[in-house]
Amino acid sequence: MAEQGLASEHPASLWSDAWKRLRRNRAAVFSGVFLAWISVTAALAPWLPGMRDPTAQDLKLAATPPSVTHWFGTDELGRDTFARVIHGGRISLMVGLVATLVSLIIGVSWGAVAGYRGGKTDEIMMRIVDILYSLPYIFLVILLLVFFSRSIIMLFVALGLVQWLTMARIVRGQVLSLKQQTFVEAARALGATDAAIIFRHIVPNTLGPVIVYTTLTVPAIILQEAFLSFLGLGVQPPDASWGTLVSDGARVLALFPWLVIFPGMALSLTLFCFNFLGDGLRDALDPHDRRDVA
Amino acid sequence: MSLAGFILRRVLIIVPTLWVIATLTFFLIRAAPGGPFQAERDIPAAAKEQLLHKYGLDQPLHRQYVHFLVNAARLDFGPSYKYPQRQVREIILEALPVSAELGGWALLLAILVGVPIGVIAAVRHNSTVDYASMGIALAGVSIPNFVLGPVLVLGLALGIYLLPPALWHGPESRVLPVLTLSTAYVAYVARLARGGMLEVLHQDYIRTARAKGLAEPVVVMKHAFRLGILPVVSYIGPAAARILMGSIVVESIFSVPGLGRYLVNAAFNRDYTLVLGEVLFYAGFLMVLNLAIDIAYTRLDPRVELA
Amino acid sequence: MRDPTRGLKLPAVLLSVAVVVCACAPAREAPVGASASRERWFGDTSPPAGNVFSFNLGAEPETYDPSLAAGQPDGRVARLLFEGLTREDPQTLEPLPGQAYRWDTSPDGRTYVFHLRPGIRWSDGRPVTASDFRWTWLRVLRPETASRYAGFLFQVVNAETFNNGTLRDENQVGLEAPDDSTFVVRLTSPVPYFLYLTQFYTCLPVPRWVVEKHGNRWTLPAHIVGNGAFTLDYWRQNNRFEFVKNPRYWDASSVRLDRIVAYSIDDLNTSFNLYKAGVVDWCPSGYFPSQFIPYVRPYADYRHGDYQAVYFYSICVTKPPLDNVMVRRALKCSVDRDAIANDLLKGSRRPWGNFAPSGYPGYDNPPGIVFDPVKARGYLAKAGYPGGKGFPKITILINTSEDHRRIAEAIQAMWKRELGIPVEIENQEWGSYLQSTTALKYDVARRSWIGDYLDPNTFLACYLSGDGNNRTGWSDPRYDAMIRAAAREMDPARRFETLRKAEMLLLDEGPVIPIYHYSTNELVKPYVRGIYQTPLDIHPLTRVWIDRDWQRRAASVAARQSKVAAPVEIR
Repeated sequence: MAEQGLASEHPASLWSDAWKRLRRNRAAVFSGVFLAWISVTAALAPWLPGMRDPTAQDLKLAATPPSVTHWFGTDELGRDTFARVIHGGRISLMVGLVATLVSLIIGVSWGAVAGYRGGKTDEIMMRIVDILYSLPYIFLVILLLVFFSRSIIMLFVALGLVQWLTMARIVRGQVLSLKQQTFVEAARALGATDAAIIFRHIVPNTLGPVIVYTTLTVPAIILQEAFLSFLGLGVQPPDASWGTLVSDGARVLALFPWLVIFPGMALSLTLFCFNFLGDGLRDALDPHDRRDVA
Repeated sequence: MSLAGFILRRVLIIVPTLWVIATLTFFLIRAAPGGPFQAERDIPAAAKEQLLHKYGLDQPLHRQYVHFLVNAARLDFGPSYKYPQRQVREIILEALPVSAELGGWALLLAILVGVPIGVIAAVRHNSTVDYASMGIALAGVSIPNFVLGPVLVLGLALGIYLLPPALWHGPESRVLPVLTLSTAYVAYVARLARGGMLEVLHQDYIRTARAKGLAEPVVVMKHAFRLGILPVVSYIGPAAARILMGSIVVESIFSVPGLGRYLVNAAFNRDYTLVLGEVLFYAGFLMVLNLAIDIAYTRLDPRVELA
Repeated sequence: MRDPTRGLKLPAVLLSVAVVVCACAPAREAPVGASASRERWFGDTSPPAGNVFSFNLGAEPETYDPSLAAGQPDGRVARLLFEGLTREDPQTLEPLPGQAYRWDTSPDGRTYVFHLRPGIRWSDGRPVTASDFRWTWLRVLRPETASRYAGFLFQVVNAETFNNGTLRDENQVGLEAPDDSTFVVRLTSPVPYFLYLTQFYTCLPVPRWVVEKHGNRWTLPAHIVGNGAFTLDYWRQNNRFEFVKNPRYWDASSVRLDRIVAYSIDDLNTSFNLYKAGVVDWCPSGYFPSQFIPYVRPYADYRHGDYQAVYFYSICVTKPPLDNVMVRRALKCSVDRDAIANDLLKGSRRPWGNFAPSGYPGYDNPPGIVFDPVKARGYLAKAGYPGGKGFPKITILINTSEDHRRIAEAIQAMWKRELGIPVEIENQEWGSYLQSTTALKYDVARRSWIGDYLDPNTFLACYLSGDGNNRTGWSDPRYDAMIRAAAREMDPARRFETLRKAEMLLLDEGPVIPIYHYSTNELVKPYVRGIYQTPLDIHPLTRVWIDRDWQRRAASVAARQSKVAAPVEIR
């Protein structure tokens, strides 16, 4: 009761507390700054001065090492690797964010409904989650992409569809404990519909773990997309994500190492920072709650 | 609830789940464009008809489905469509020990390296040691396998002829694939260990132990560790299953004859029977493993009951 | 005071090690025997311990039952375990006596009488008889067997009707075994390349009693029986095959290897690495990344030559605008093959404007398609799309592969640049790609065709109307007539002339845009003798041997070549 009262009198105290804790974690702060910088650069990529067209081929300049004119060298079709890496960041981050959004929407709704409704509904919904969990992920994604291999949208959906399961479980767990709280009873007494209670009152209170898990899902998705590129199912040309660049470059590592070093560093640093930031957020927001699966 | 009762209840859930998975996979793989007998070189129409007839693919779908279910219940998945001289069961049983060895070593390495990292990070929470050790662990998950593998091969197998670059032949050939595979799992294990330990270390009973004057290492290892390690324990189930079937990258790069390669190739080849066999094997294995883990959990955590 | 960078030291060390490792690539080669000979060899050149020859088989064979085998890995295994009426010369691939030591051909070319060698046996001791051949060929033709290459034998009297089920009585098929060592084949029309077919894996004999006893599982090492130079000792799927010398083989005395190990390796890089490390002694063509070719060229391991295979784009002509022959001509003339082959592929392939590959003895390819953007634009205008205006978007379909993608991107750029038309690229994985091309659901698709025997017919016959390998919907009665006339023509010169005219028609109006001519690019260790580059990429391995003295031999050759009268130490 007292806890609840505190939260309503100083609604920002939980968050400002968390923010203070986060600020003390230097690594997480640095990661956040780096990610912000990379996102802005990637987003503004086509308009940055001096940026070459990443699809412009010049077969005579194929596979040249880094030089003054081409900072990261060129690839086998003579395209500028620096431009490809920056534009690749756009695609990778977009894939990561959109697919995460897809998994977020589905996972949060599913988990919240299941947790709130309880009983039979809960059992059926979570049984479905268990079944989907028991299918080998790779197989699912391959099938999805084989069916709909044409568009990048399908890629978002396919990746998001596989990640929502854990999100659903986490949210359900949160909702199960939250729905006992008095503010829920109060809302019900006031005649709010189930949907309103779920989405307007409960979900916002699950934000902590959701934010954490979201931050950790983005790098997982970017990595999955890289893995799919290795199998040839990732982003299709002429678009290229970091995943495509890295898996293509890894094949010619012995000859043209710059084709894997630069996109690889970009990819690894970004994933690294996302993970560090996610862990930091988790520490900051829920210092005593660590029961979620990685 | 007794142990036997618990297991029985679980089995009653596992069986229908497997049935649903089998049905889903059966229809899903058949809906994919193309079929098991398509190739660049055309096959004469009469021959194609004969092939379809030989494998019962010209029968109505529901008949095929029933036939499949009946046989699957006896663990008979028929011959592989792509490699007709072998039974699916044979293929899986032959590849299983290989994948188990690869995955087993990788998981063991991940635990041996990840748990200490996580524990140290938790004990030295928010210090440089914490960041550095987690940093190393996270580096493992930030570098994709198909980059790490070739780099290791280039360095240790071709730059200096220390280890074989591929093939599953002899003890030295295990080193690079296991190393490559384990790096990502080191990160997950470290993170889970750190999380688990942090939660436990803030509990009251730990504070009591410290107040009683026990030395820190004793507090950590004797009291906190047993409960702090629980998230890692429950992770082992899904991790083991995933590592068994999901190591396609490492298996390709190092030419290891494991289950992952078969599954991915089978999906691409539309090898219906092999796909079904492997998917059901994975699901069954995962569920049995989860059951075992849950039972182990109760032994470790006195607060949790078989429910 | 605590060093604040302590936590960063280890990562930095690791990173620098990684960078140094990368910088040391392209990998370290040890120029062996550089002083003795002028050649440089790639990777580890120490010969294997015994008379064991190892190579990369490529993908796991689907089946090495010769009657059912379809791909190259299947064929390689089948050829080690079985031998046909004729066998290939390791260098020219000409038919040499195999299980048959001589044969008679009738003057009209329609009857062959093969005389089998006395004393030839299967590996279990039973004699090889003409009935074995007759039974095997009938098995290939039997519809229940579902053999992909049954069409090879369709020239045999009544073979086609037997295969499609119209004819039930196999005794009416033109194959006879009047006695144990005589095998008679009767054809409906002369087939000039027939003796090449008899050494192709489909025509290799199989042991009837083993097949009937074990069914699908007769090829497992425990059961299999063959008449070839080697027997199957060990097989692990997705891993390797091990063959041992067959003492019952009629020519066993000239087989100098004791054991052959063939690894099934999917990944091209892995295959290359294994060759470098000396684990495999031969890396056949196509089994290492093509980007590496310019870099291995200076080494003596590298061998290359023509391969009877062509990489081309197939056009589906069922829908506008591609049903318009002017549009097709425009597309054909605006592909700069030289740029693709020389710049993009770094000279590892030959630009090729014909459909039939080069090198067929007696066949003169007609003039090929030439890169002529001006003419191309003229064609497009004549078709009603001047400057590309109004041209609907077409899609290039490729299956998943980096090489295909790069070429498709280059051609997409060329068509955009020269013709101003919008082009997209679609990538499908193999199964879907096959489905799409067979069902004619594509605009332009990447394809390759590999010759099965040394005659242009193996290419040109694909584009007969309704042929299963056509896959474009293109049908031209003039073309069909020419191909059929050539099949009946006895005089080789006239026959080739007709085929040449047919090819010209195909190049001008047909649904193909040839791009490059394949070449074989393989790596062979210096101590391997008896492997030769061949245009069909077929390598009989019976005469291969390991030369442990190779360095000394190379030194003496070099000494002789430099005309220095140096006393060469022998032993």
